[in-house]
Amino acid sequence: MGQPGLNRRHFLGAAGGLVTAASLGFAALGSGADALASGTRTRVRYWNLFQGGDGANQVAMVDAFRRTHPGTAVKDSTLTWGGPYYTKLAMAAAGNRAPDLAVMHQGRVPGFAPGRLLDPWDTGLLAEYGVREADFNPVLWKRGVVDGELYALPLDIHVQLCFYRKDVCRRAGLLDSAGRLPAATSTDDWFAVLKEARKQLKKGQQTLGLHANDQNFCWWFFVAFYQQLGGTYFDAAQTDLTFDTDKATRVLEFFRKHVTDGYVTPGETDAEAFLAGSPFTWEGNWSVPYFTGEKVDFGAQPLPPVFGTPATHAESHSFVLPHQAGRGGPADEGAYRLAAYMVTHATTWALGGHIPAYLPTFQDPGYRELAPQNEYSRPAMDHQANEPHIWFAGSTGILAQRLGPVIASSNLGSTAPGKAARRMKNLLERLLAAKNPMTGRTAAQELKGAAA
Amino acid sequence: MTTRSARRWPPAQIALTAVAATLSLIWLAPLAWALSTSLKSPTESVTSPHWIPEHVTLDSWKEVLKAGDIPNWFVNSVVVSVCVTVIVLLVASLAGYGFARTEFRGKGALMGLTMAGLMFSPAILGVPLFTTVQSLGMVDTYWGMILPQCAPAAKVYILYKFFQGLPRELEEAAFIDGAGRWRIFFTIVLPLSKPSLSAVGIFTFIASWNNFLWPYMVTNNPDLMTMPNGIATVQNAFGIVWPQLMAGGLIAGLPLIIVFVFFQSQIVRGVAHTGLAGQ
Amino acid sequence: MSSTALTTAGRTARPRTGAGADSARLRWSRRLQHGGWFVAPFLVLYGLFVILPVVRGLYLSFTDANISGDHSGFVGLANYREALRDPLVWDSLWHSTQFTLYVVPLIVLVALLMALIAHHTTHFKWLWRLCFFAPFLLPSAVVGNLWWWLFQPTNGMVNHVLGLDTPWLTQKSTAMLAVVVATLWWTVGFSFLLYLAALQNIPQHLYEAAELDGANALQRMLYITVPNLRSITGLVVALQVLASLQVFDQAVVMYQFGPGPEETTRTFVQYTLEQGFTTYRVGYASAISFVLFVIVAAVALARMWLLKGREEATR
Repeated sequence: MGQPGLNRRHFLGAAGGLVTAASLGFAALGSGADALASGTRTRVRYWNLFQGGDGANQVAMVDAFRRTHPGTAVKDSTLTWGGPYYTKLAMAAAGNRAPDLAVMHQGRVPGFAPGRLLDPWDTGLLAEYGVREADFNPVLWKRGVVDGELYALPLDIHVQLCFYRKDVCRRAGLLDSAGRLPAATSTDDWFAVLKEARKQLKKGQQTLGLHANDQNFCWWFFVAFYQQLGGTYFDAAQTDLTFDTDKATRVLEFFRKHVTDGYVTPGETDAEAFLAGSPFTWEGNWSVPYFTGEKVDFGAQPLPPVFGTPATHAESHSFVLPHQAGRGGPADEGAYRLAAYMVTHATTWALGGHIPAYLPTFQDPGYRELAPQNEYSRPAMDHQANEPHIWFAGSTGILAQRLGPVIASSNLGSTAPGKAARRMKNLLERLLAAKNPMTGRTAAQELKGAAA
Repeated sequence: MTTRSARRWPPAQIALTAVAATLSLIWLAPLAWALSTSLKSPTESVTSPHWIPEHVTLDSWKEVLKAGDIPNWFVNSVVVSVCVTVIVLLVASLAGYGFARTEFRGKGALMGLTMAGLMFSPAILGVPLFTTVQSLGMVDTYWGMILPQCAPAAKVYILYKFFQGLPRELEEAAFIDGAGRWRIFFTIVLPLSKPSLSAVGIFTFIASWNNFLWPYMVTNNPDLMTMPNGIATVQNAFGIVWPQLMAGGLIAGLPLIIVFVFFQSQIVRGVAHTGLAGQ
Repeated sequence: MSSTALTTAGRTARPRTGAGADSARLRWSRRLQHGGWFVAPFLVLYGLFVILPVVRGLYLSFTDANISGDHSGFVGLANYREALRDPLVWDSLWHSTQFTLYVVPLIVLVALLMALIAHHTTHFKWLWRLCFFAPFLLPSAVVGNLWWWLFQPTNGMVNHVLGLDTPWLTQKSTAMLAVVVATLWWTVGFSFLLYLAALQNIPQHLYEAAELDGANALQRMLYITVPNLRSITGLVVALQVLASLQVFDQAVVMYQFGPGPEETTRTFVQYTLEQGFTTYRVGYASAISFVLFVIVAAVALARMWLLKGREEATR
């Protein structure tokens, strides 16, 4: 070995020493490389859960903001959608390291400890950036208000839709003269439609994408059809359960029939099957740009009113200020600027299928001409089925996590619909009696406290 | 000639080598598939599975390296793993030596307490550990990631056993020469312990580089995430792009595999050493 | 190594004679009193990040503390009582146990097989070692993402190679199996190296003597190799059981932090973290953490007890 070996050893030693010194220095400094690189500009940390088409639109909007606001550096981070996102957001807020701005489903706000994990919006400051209550659907705005303070600034309403392929449906003779699918108003109607459409399919293709084993979709679809039957969950004081197992059983039997009659293949990737020629799929409106991009001739309408009253599941994306001990300063103002910009420039967002919450956009002729948005946005807005307004509800919340799998197991035949409905009732009973860990009070106590 | 090669390759040996080769191929296949996927375009990756990309493209690798997050996480991983390794080596060798060679009040009890620590892990006590670190104000900091990985009862135990096995005469001789106990530790004991220290160091580094659970719990700010954590929790805004996911995974995994190729025998000895110490 | 040590010793050690050396040795051992300073840095870190969390966790388990740290009150044994009645505690405990029952025997068998092959082949040993061990060097998150992709029903490698169209990750009958396969591929290399080291430690003369006595290859395997691998097998099993009961990473990454099809892959660690960080019930999460702690401690103590018993038997 001799000399070269020694040299190599020296070199490795020096390199190792440098890396070690740099690492320790970095750790002592305490901020990531990216934060250092962004320099002295105001840096707004903005978290969201938008992936796929939504992600692309959102990135386009943030980029547009960056162009018009060169003094503000936006560090946007997209975290895994659903449960993991809310986990990270709660832990960051609890550890006092929250981002300056975040997206949250409106239904999650009551459980997210407004006041402790969330800071309220300063409506005066929002008005300075051009955001006023009068420009929003009043119901939507009010849902973001807790104890008189605005916590959730609504961006959109998003709904579950029945997507249909016009090519297949036309061949099956299912479309009306305007080229749209007439809404099925009874379960028999609906299954007749499926039966006709199936005749057009190749062997092995499924007729409907039902997300039969996805706990979130299961829960959303249940909320929609259960509301069509007029079903409720709790009484007004949130002390007693009003959950109707007979109605729930009817909904679950309706779902299950799709599987037993062979219209649905559990485990199929539904959106891809739709692109490959399957005539129907039930998806969120966020699939609109995906299907549009793939050049499929399709229409979309609210879930079919098979139980009589129209109703389709609706949630809302909103902007929140995660709790920071010393909220204020340039980063906070940057958060207001960014949120106001996104809410008022939601035309791009509406391309993603979402119904804009900002009325000037909603009433804009440009928006009204968008297809298939114009087919579903009005009826969906007028017939929303929301999750109950309670601390354990909201998109991917405890309710979906607990009840969703029960619905899925009924869909797949592991549990009989009647038994599943009773299990749902038991779970709801336990949740109603449970205390919100953030306040130490049950739902009923919280309601009473808010009224007092 | 024939007899000689027959001796080197008896039929049993040929069969055994064939089995070994098959098993190796099976074990390499997932990595090969990942590499092949990473060289395909997103569309090609989801159209009829095949091994050899029709159009080899480095776009996914470029995209992943350009997007900013992955190089950033790579730096974070280096910072955290290097700090953890340095601190663990220092702290564990000192403690191992202290327990093996020195006397102090309560040594037996403290040794017992340290052994009990072998039963705890962030997997079991993650929630209380998080609230502790939270109350120390270290959530979403490098130190919050680093320091809880630096109390390794197992490493102390391994080095303790090693120091016990060192002949005492050396240290005594140095003492007679007038050296203090710290100097003895740093100039005589540590140089003698290189094999053990490198084994412990290698393992600490691997464990820290690959650690998912604790960084997952304690970092939420994507600026500060390490590779494994970032890959699992931060998504590409454009959805699941398999080639990019695989390219990112290979970037996270390759450094250690390359190191392994070069330092195979040391690492193998290290595994045997640290593993067998628990026997 | 040891020879270097000896020569160094010979060079530095002055000739020691008579009482002088003895008294020096006495002073040396006295100097070592108060050696606590050596241990102090470790104890500080250990106290802060092991002892304190344990104590704190025990305290929290008797409260209804939430993640933000306020509104916490003493609730006595309520959390533990609830845990006993909580079906998800039992389900998730069963999933972790089920995983352990599948994965440990598989790892032992495959690792042993690999070690025997690598030990007895005469060529390319380094290559087998590299192939079998390389996956162990990957981060768990990468392993999870990788197998999530490999198990995709239409575009994944597994179905492509096997010519199947099984929806591995979306049906409950194969969901846990998929995690087991990924784990086997990922971690078997470590146990393989332990077995390989143990095989190399078996004295060659035992085999030579047996061969002289006319034992055939199978007999040598059964009467020499297998008995000599007993203690390493005990170690491999113990390490794997302890690690498998704490399974979390690869399962959550493969199922995107969800509970798997019909909640069949939610592991116990996952459930404690869900309670702590998704439902924000830090008190309850701490209580159920101690359930797993008791189980892991019992396994560890049982192993120590078994080892002690064996030591006494061989003495």
